[in-house]
Amino acid sequence: MKKQVNIPKLVHAFFKWYCKSDRYEELHGDLEEFFYERAEEMGLVKARFYYLRDVIRCCQPYAWKKPKVYSNSNIIMFKNYFKTSLRSMTRNPLGSFINVFGLSVAIGICLVVYSFVAYDYSLDQFHENKNEVYLTTIRADRNGAEVQYGLSPTPLGELLKDDFAQISKVARVKDVSVVMKYEDKVFYENLRFTDPEFLEMLTFPLKWGSPDALIDVNSIILSEPMSVKYFGDENPIGEDILVKFGEEGRKIFRVAGVAEAFPDAHIIEFGFLANFKNMKVADPAFDEANWADLLDATLIQVPDPMDIEAIRAGMVKYKALQNDIENDWKINSFDFEPLASLHLNAGGIEDAISYDYTEPGRVILPIIALLMIFMACFNYINVAIVSSARRLKEIGVRKVIGANRGKVIVQFLAENILLTFFAMLVGILLAYTLFLPWLANQAALPLRLSPTDLNLWLFLIFILLLTGLASGIYPALYISKFDVARIFRGSIRFGKKSPLTKVFLGFQLVVACITITGAIAFTQNTLHINSRSWGYDQTGALYTSITDKSAFDQLYSAMSQNPNVLSVSGSRDHLGMVKSQAVLRLPDRQYEVDQLSIDAQYFETMGLQLTTGRNFKPDPESDRQSIIVNKALVENMAWAEPLTEVVTIDSARYQVVGVTEDFQFNSFYSPVKPTLFKVADKDDYRFLSVRARAGAERETYDALKAEWVQLFPEVPFQGGYQEDVWPGFFEDVAIQERFMKVVAFIAILLSSLGLYGLVTLNVAGRVREFSIRKALGAGVKNIAFSILRQYMLLSVIALLIAAPLSYIAINANINMLYAEPMPLTYTVVTLAVVLLIFILLTVISTQIRKVSKSSPVVGLRTE
Amino acid sequence: MGRSHLGEFEELVLLTVGVLYDDAYAVAITKEIANQSGRSVAVSAVHKSLYRLEEKGMLKSRLGEAESKRGGKRKRLFNITPFGKKAIDESMDLRVHLRNQISDLAFNWQAD
Repeated sequence: MKKQVNIPKLVHAFFKWYCKSDRYEELHGDLEEFFYERAEEMGLVKARFYYLRDVIRCCQPYAWKKPKVYSNSNIIMFKNYFKTSLRSMTRNPLGSFINVFGLSVAIGICLVVYSFVAYDYSLDQFHENKNEVYLTTIRADRNGAEVQYGLSPTPLGELLKDDFAQISKVARVKDVSVVMKYEDKVFYENLRFTDPEFLEMLTFPLKWGSPDALIDVNSIILSEPMSVKYFGDENPIGEDILVKFGEEGRKIFRVAGVAEAFPDAHIIEFGFLANFKNMKVADPAFDEANWADLLDATLIQVPDPMDIEAIRAGMVKYKALQNDIENDWKINSFDFEPLASLHLNAGGIEDAISYDYTEPGRVILPIIALLMIFMACFNYINVAIVSSARRLKEIGVRKVIGANRGKVIVQFLAENILLTFFAMLVGILLAYTLFLPWLANQAALPLRLSPTDLNLWLFLIFILLLTGLASGIYPALYISKFDVARIFRGSIRFGKKSPLTKVFLGFQLVVACITITGAIAFTQNTLHINSRSWGYDQTGALYTSITDKSAFDQLYSAMSQNPNVLSVSGSRDHLGMVKSQAVLRLPDRQYEVDQLSIDAQYFETMGLQLTTGRNFKPDPESDRQSIIVNKALVENMAWAEPLTEVVTIDSARYQVVGVTEDFQFNSFYSPVKPTLFKVADKDDYRFLSVRARAGAERETYDALKAEWVQLFPEVPFQGGYQEDVWPGFFEDVAIQERFMKVVAFIAILLSSLGLYGLVTLNVAGRVREFSIRKALGAGVKNIAFSILRQYMLLSVIALLIAAPLSYIAINANINMLYAEPMPLTYTVVTLAVVLLIFILLTVISTQIRKVSKSSPVVGLRTE
Repeated sequence: MGRSHLGEFEELVLLTVGVLYDDAYAVAITKEIANQSGRSVAVSAVHKSLYRLEEKGMLKSRLGEAESKRGGKRKRLFNITPFGKKAIDESMDLRVHLRNQISDLAFNWQAD
């Protein structure tokens, strides 16, 4: 009968696993006695359950196998491993330093890259509805390629809400530039008009006030920094703030809320929020039903993300509506982008509410981190293999007294993890004190490594195991396989011929070569960009934005009197600031170009050169139907005789009367675009630009500002030097250069450290050979050659691979960053290779010197 | 060497070992305590106390016979040592002593 009553195997196995052997019999006997009894009394199922409960309850110290400290020799061996590790590390301080230093630098870099990537992926991820909120986007063909825009037609939002039951909320967004006035504080600000749902869809909690306040058309909600800017630390709820739209429109808003400070990792933000219905106040011509007007964003919330496909399919009807009205701006389709992935995909969406400025970092930084880890690991492997020659006897003894190969492997791996752990501590220190503050400062990003971040700890453990194992497994396998008898007979020769060592060294040379090429190329590019022509004369040009025609006239007459001013000009658009788009209608296609509306003095004032044709005539009426185009446009149209061409824009015809040099509207990140100039209507002037006499820029700027303040005390001055219209661009360029230099420096450091360690140990291993050579009369030349020979072929092959690879990699990198970079020449690569060869020779020659100075007698006496 | 006084449950186990003289092993002790005190007792708790008492020198043990009802395994039988007896006696004395010191007034709830 008892035969059927079986102890549950798995539970039994568990018991057996934790229970120490000398108590197993009596303890399990007790449990079995209970089990059989219960099986008879209350059935097998319950008995099994109780058995399981007993086994779990018995899992207590009295039953456990004792920790090995007391009983097992393993721990004693580990203590011994630890001791020998420390000894071998102190006996070979150079190798240990190279290993620990290299690994810690690499780990430090990994940590910094981790913090960057973590930051990047957390951008705008704090919104609770990030997976339900979508940005409406438009796909349209522009100049032959489909482009996705983050804009949407004005009426779309309202229609979506009515037509789709799946959409729970819609928020339209339109940003308007306004003048804010509170007491004596007057500034230009961006006011964001939106629907009250905006604050429900996005997670922007309010510090003061209620989000419902946006329903009231007279309410305004401030961001935390804006609240401080206008009201200091006071609670501004209930205060009135005057908003001026252009010259005519004005409205008093009541502060009804202040948002909490935005999280560090945010892109979508606002300074001021007001109800969308105010659009009519801001712009009397605004028409909610006008398909030709585009909003900055239309956000929708779809509670069930599954529904988005159905909505997408239903968008076809709007396409027809849109294309009926907008003939010049036909669209292909509507699309949606979830908020959760908006930042990462924003690079491919033009004019989106979010943007992607971290893409280069996201691509390049992890590659760099990986390369550095590889280099450090290869250093370790090389040094470990070569220095194990010194530990052969130890391994032999261990094997004789009973260590099998597995034990030796474990010993070396444990030693390695210990070393990596040590390196990791130093690496963390480096990351916290050096790398992270540097990168955060350079890139102006709020990067941090928070000890409360669980993923960080997992990442650290991952790095520890990865580096520890990656660098340790090969030396461990390699060293452990030697035969005891051969060790003691002294017939093992190695280190010289290990092919892997050479491959690793070669790899390091390649990486070093690429980074040096990068550093040189970026330095060159920076110099190039700083000296590169903008296509017009930006030095000495000043500009200010103006509110309307009468302001222009007053300021114009004031500035024309100034003896330092060479010319003054008015325009609707302005280089580096504002441009508009025009669509040229050609017989076979449409062609979108940039358009700047200017007056006849603009070219002179901005220093833009005409290559052929003429300037606009001073009388604005005479050139209504003329345009001047830039070279890029001529080339794109393949016009042989540009001055004979006539183009159609908005069904009006224009004669080309002149061609200008190409110029850089935006920074050098973007390419030169085909652009046309036409005469601006005087009522549309929004900019006044001034050319100052050379050397009098400062006085002219001060005069311009003083005139403005005197004429329009109510409106903030918004002008500046033309040289400053690309904010941040030159800083960016300088940062990239510095960054590349630092990376190159670390790569050189790691690879030359590795090389140095390798050569030193190699030479040390051949002391006897060199001593004999010297004793037999060999000169420095002979010894130098015998050392060099070992590395010559390797270096040549590595550099042959490295040179083209550097060219390709750095070229791709620069082309990704800049639209029209300085072309990478072979000189740069050659320079890098020469530099690398120089470093190689320097490292090797230190050892040659050492050998040539040493006495052969001492060398022969060792060992 | 740990505390030399007895915990409440340890004392119960020690006493029960004495009661079951010559057949005191974990299963029997567990059942005995459960029967006499009416509370449910886990065998693991008994194990724990037995080994600790043995460590303290209040119990000594030997292995018994293998039995089929235990899956052919031997059981560990426990006996009280003189030191164990001393510990029980001291503990009992202390309790009696303390009990006797309680004045009747303390039990006179009608007074107030």
